Amino acid sequence: MDNPVLQAINQTFLTVSRGVQAVPGSDIVIGYIKNSYQNDPFRVVLELGLAIYAIKYMLSKKYRIDPSHIKLTEKEIDELVDEWQPEPLVKPLTDRERMELESAQVILGSQGPKPKMLSTGKTLLNLASSNFLGYNDNEHIKSKLVEVLHNYGVGTCGPPGFYGTLDVHMQLEKDIARFLGTESAIIYAQAFATISSVVAAFSKRGDIIVADEGCNFAIQKGTQISRSIIKWYKHNDMEDLERVLESIQKETSNKKRPLTRRFIITEGLFYNYGDFAPLKRIMELKHKYKYRLVLDESASVGLVSKNGRGLTEKYGVAAKEIDMIVGSMAHSFSAAGGFCAGAKEVIDHQRLSGQAFVFSAAIPAMLTVCASEAINILEDESMGGTKLLKDLHDNATAFRNVIVTAPQSIEMNSEEGSPILHLRFPSQVVKNSGITTRDDEEYLLQEIVDEVATKDGLLITRAKYVESQELFLPRPSIRISICASHTRKEVEKAAQSIKTAFSKVIAKRK
Amino acid sequence: MTLASKYKTDYVQSLDQHSQTNLNSSWVNDKGAWLTNVILIFFLKLVFDIIPGISPELSWTLTTLVYNIGSYIMFHAVTGVPFEFTQGAYDGITLWEQIDGGVQFTATRKYLTAVPVVLFLLSTHYTHYAPFAFSVNLTATVINLIAKLPSMHQVRLFDINQKPSTD
Repeated sequence: MDNPVLQAINQTFLTVSRGVQAVPGSDIVIGYIKNSYQNDPFRVVLELGLAIYAIKYMLSKKYRIDPSHIKLTEKEIDELVDEWQPEPLVKPLTDRERMELESAQVILGSQGPKPKMLSTGKTLLNLASSNFLGYNDNEHIKSKLVEVLHNYGVGTCGPPGFYGTLDVHMQLEKDIARFLGTESAIIYAQAFATISSVVAAFSKRGDIIVADEGCNFAIQKGTQISRSIIKWYKHNDMEDLERVLESIQKETSNKKRPLTRRFIITEGLFYNYGDFAPLKRIMELKHKYKYRLVLDESASVGLVSKNGRGLTEKYGVAAKEIDMIVGSMAHSFSAAGGFCAGAKEVIDHQRLSGQAFVFSAAIPAMLTVCASEAINILEDESMGGTKLLKDLHDNATAFRNVIVTAPQSIEMNSEEGSPILHLRFPSQVVKNSGITTRDDEEYLLQEIVDEVATKDGLLITRAKYVESQELFLPRPSIRISICASHTRKEVEKAAQSIKTAFSKVIAKRK
Repeated sequence: MTLASKYKTDYVQSLDQHSQTNLNSSWVNDKGAWLTNVILIFFLKLVFDIIPGISPELSWTLTTLVYNIGSYIMFHAVTGVPFEFTQGAYDGITLWEQIDGGVQFTATRKYLTAVPVVLFLLSTHYTHYAPFAFSVNLTATVINLIAKLPSMHQVRLFDINQKPSTD
């Protein structure tokens, strides 16, 4: 024991073992290790390995697994900061934007079939607003609404599930269900949010939506927000729809995909085209491939067919066979908000899962009663509902009959029986007169709008879209909304003027 | 599917995931949940102890086995969120992958990794290294630990939890 090195090692060992023994619970660990040896060093190695793994895991630092994360050096960050050019808070207007702003007409006084303009003080014949049945200045509805205003006040101040429900809301739901012939109905406070809310309440990530390319912007947003797999078929092309359904079926059976919910979404009367979805054929395909059908009747409810019950009445399809009939009360009913009609289960699901129903304040009592009254008028023979619809359809036909006489200057694909008519330049004419851009075509249409406003006393409008966000942007058009309040003569004269304006503008261009 | 559109879908999914607290996984971080984990193990052991005819060795082995199978099912076999609130933003993602929004080596992950290791060490010790019990314990623990590895994050082996393609 005279080697100082050995002595030092011994001393250290003793101190360490004393130190270990002094730690409370060290006996257990020492006992454990002694016991676990059991003449098999492999096990000790394995256990130690596990213990070391656990300790290593404990000491590891947090990090996020993110393949899209790019690590930048200080220099790169500086470079990016230097390169950055702030955009102006408000961009200077483009020519197109300036035209849109300058061409906007402002109405003085109340909206109606013949409103007064702020700019000129003249009254124009209104073929631009969706006041199809002339409910905007219906005296019966007006007096009824004044009464409601006195009884209920203005707003509801809360969502339907949170003290926002009034008796008139429940009445309107019953009215809609009765009018359309479904089991039940639910009302939403905003028309645009209705379809997106309904689609998203039922169709989730992984579910499949097959939709018409001609569907309006609200439907496009609804399918997007639902996060589902979306397949589009060509506008009103049933062969293409069948092809899409067939391809989905094939793919599903090949890949043994789990069974998901599937929906066909289409508009009844296409707001952007003015034609009808071939409902009978869609019903056949829906049954054949086992899909649910969401039918957006926003533009057709209260307007299409003899009693205004929409596409189901027009094609003789039972409303109960359609899973969800969605519609807007802002068009024909001259109120606001939207509805969804269908089976009781389908409707009740939305009372907790329809986002726009749950989180939006309920629709004001006045507008609710307005919609109820609008339905009552349509249902009740003595209140002249059928006459209003007949006037509307006769006006639409009269307008059509004038326009179709000029196929060389106006293209109109809108169908007979639709109060919404889209007038376009024929594509051949556009090509021949050297119009290349969409903006040019819009300017030309605006010329027509301005011309008939100043010369013929007509208020019409181009169809306007959020062009950057529309998935399948329709060609530029003038959208005519026929109103039942106008006389046949006024409508025919208006059609003549528009026809002349179309040929004149094109001739000028040539 | 083009790369750009794929990137876009992933971006939307991650946006959806971060739009709200994931109530399906956030409870795992509670200290009460940590304690419950230990209590459950004690309870399991107790139950196996009081069943007549079960030796202490078997009781320990069963405890480890049941704990590992149970936690495997809970954390690695079941995917998605049972009560949907984000349009299926977590579809096909296991609870383990949902914890802390997928961040690795967080306190909860460390705790939940340590528990099966400690349980295994205790269990093999008290079964006196009977070869059969040892191999059962080891297999169960190792499978459970492999599933928890950071390198196994969103990796699908043998078609387990395979997500259907979206196009």
